[in-house]
Amino acid sequence: MSEPVLSVENLSLRYRVAGGAVAALRNVSLSVRQGEVLGIAGESGCGKSSLAAAMIDLAGANAEVTAGAIRLRGQDILRLDQAARRRLRGREIAMVFQDPMTAFNPVLTVGAQLVDFQFNLDGVPGREKRARARDMLARVGLSDPDLVMGRYPHELSGGMRQRAAIAAALLMRPAVLIADEPTTALDVTMEAQIIHLLRELRAQYGCAIVIVTHHLGVIAELCDRVAVMYAGEVVEEAPVDELFHDPRHPYTRALIACDPARIGKATGRLPAIGGRLPDLSDPPPGCAFAARCGIATDRCRTVPPPRVAPGADRGVLCHEAAP
Amino acid sequence: MTALLSVRDLAVDLPLGRWFGGGARALNILAGVTMDLQPGRTLGLVGESGSGKTTLARAILGLQPVSGGTLRFDGAELRRSADFRAIRRRTALMFQDATASLSPRMTVGEAVTEPFVIHGIRIASRRGKAAELLAEVGLPAEMAARYPHELSGGQARRVGVARALALKPSLVIADEPTAGLDVSVQAEILNLMADLKDRHGLSYLVITHNLALVRHVADRIAVLYLGRLVETGPTRAIFAGPGHPYTRSLIAAEPKPDPRQRRTDLAIRGEIPGILRRPPGCEFHTRCPVARDICRSAAPALHDLGPGHSVRCHFPETTSKGG
Repeated sequence: MSEPVLSVENLSLRYRVAGGAVAALRNVSLSVRQGEVLGIAGESGCGKSSLAAAMIDLAGANAEVTAGAIRLRGQDILRLDQAARRRLRGREIAMVFQDPMTAFNPVLTVGAQLVDFQFNLDGVPGREKRARARDMLARVGLSDPDLVMGRYPHELSGGMRQRAAIAAALLMRPAVLIADEPTTALDVTMEAQIIHLLRELRAQYGCAIVIVTHHLGVIAELCDRVAVMYAGEVVEEAPVDELFHDPRHPYTRALIACDPARIGKATGRLPAIGGRLPDLSDPPPGCAFAARCGIATDRCRTVPPPRVAPGADRGVLCHEAAP
Repeated sequence: MTALLSVRDLAVDLPLGRWFGGGARALNILAGVTMDLQPGRTLGLVGESGSGKTTLARAILGLQPVSGGTLRFDGAELRRSADFRAIRRRTALMFQDATASLSPRMTVGEAVTEPFVIHGIRIASRRGKAAELLAEVGLPAEMAARYPHELSGGQARRVGVARALALKPSLVIADEPTAGLDVSVQAEILNLMADLKDRHGLSYLVITHNLALVRHVADRIAVLYLGRLVETGPTRAIFAGPGHPYTRSLIAAEPKPDPRQRRTDLAIRGEIPGILRRPPGCEFHTRCPVARDICRSAAPALHDLGPGHSVRCHFPETTSKGG
């Protein structure tokens, strides 16, 4: 199996807030290989967006990495200086955000911005940068790239904007593309088209793709491997088929069980996960999910759970999940 | 049984200024919308952004002038604004963005009791009433002192439900009631809405593009495309055998939370055309996989497919099972 392009090793990150700190990521390890689509799933507040932001070094001024490493082709990017990190961003690791309206500058045309994004390319004439931008817009399925080049972001529909944002991210042929909820703001018909596009681009460019989403349907349609996060930890990691057909962590099971799309019989009442996330300014001593878990024992509430490996390429953070 | 809400051949036009195309013109938004909502039932209104769902809801509430057709509430025809004002106490709206729909300068307690002030209804104690309404939606009475920014997404939804319930309405129009919520919180809100429906005999008009959701909550579905009702019928009949190619595409486009059911083809391409460029004939022909010549020139009529199930298509497929 090929070496990982990007790997996160035992990463812990906290946000300084008034009166303390919030442990947003706790000892997170995962990796993505070339040509692979890794899904990061979980609910609001689980740390998935913090992880995505940390991967591209955009975690914000009040974020502090307390331990761990983020390696791009083996090199720890957290140990690079600011200028070197900045060179990686956009060129080696690119990002697509949930809301492409806020990702683009509203007062510049899409074409002007796509040319600007190539500032890293020294010695390439402007005309060629324009041609590259236009070509990339055509590749992401915009039928009239010349028209889109001259448009302002607000003049495009949501789906067209998201395609343009994907084009912008791919302009520099990054090794890793990170997409944070890339289809959440879109209609289901456009969501299907963006999923289709990401699949095509993976096949065409062979870049590694990391998809952050709370939508299990998107994970199932698009990903090869999945990491499920809860309260700042990766609680389960598995190949996509095994995650959906043989989930081991009680949280993964609960998450899959309450997806209305999974429930075949129409029912007026849906299963829910009772309780709420633990307070991450003071994480519980044992398993973070214990308070909401149906099979938790006293040990779960007091002793941190071990990471067990129920199969090849799998990991579960649970006392009760049999290996 | 008299339908609680009866919509017949409803049309909405927006007047356009003279400068827009020579003579004074009107832009047609909705036409030929016919549907009934029986007391105690839930009708799901489905379609992509731009299909006219929200305009229809606004017309039903008298917030959007109607240019043709009739609206009846509990048997009485709504014509003048006084008619709408009279029924407004019996209808309530749950807004799509629950947090934004609450005034940032009003406490939760003030917000949920504001309907009494608006309608000039005396209540013994606003504080007591607020506590009662919050209890109804499963929130503690202390929540009344909070401001909207202090609420989680799920809590803001519950406050929206409490406010909608304040005047004991017969009809609640819920615009994307769970958009942006995590699956487990989504289930809690839907279960709450189902409980309140049983307890108070409410009827819901649920506007959504989430088909997995309507399948569980709606008794009947109405599908809109570019301001036309393209299919309506019992939920079970529509999911078992969608008659309109658009309905079939929508159902097929929904990402399936099972990697073994991945789709490799695209069910539907492109986007809904703008209302300024309404296609002639059948509005859907530009994206329809089975369109023929007649579809490009003649507008189809509604055909019956079964009891209470009708479809606006020249070639309704009665044999298809789920697309």
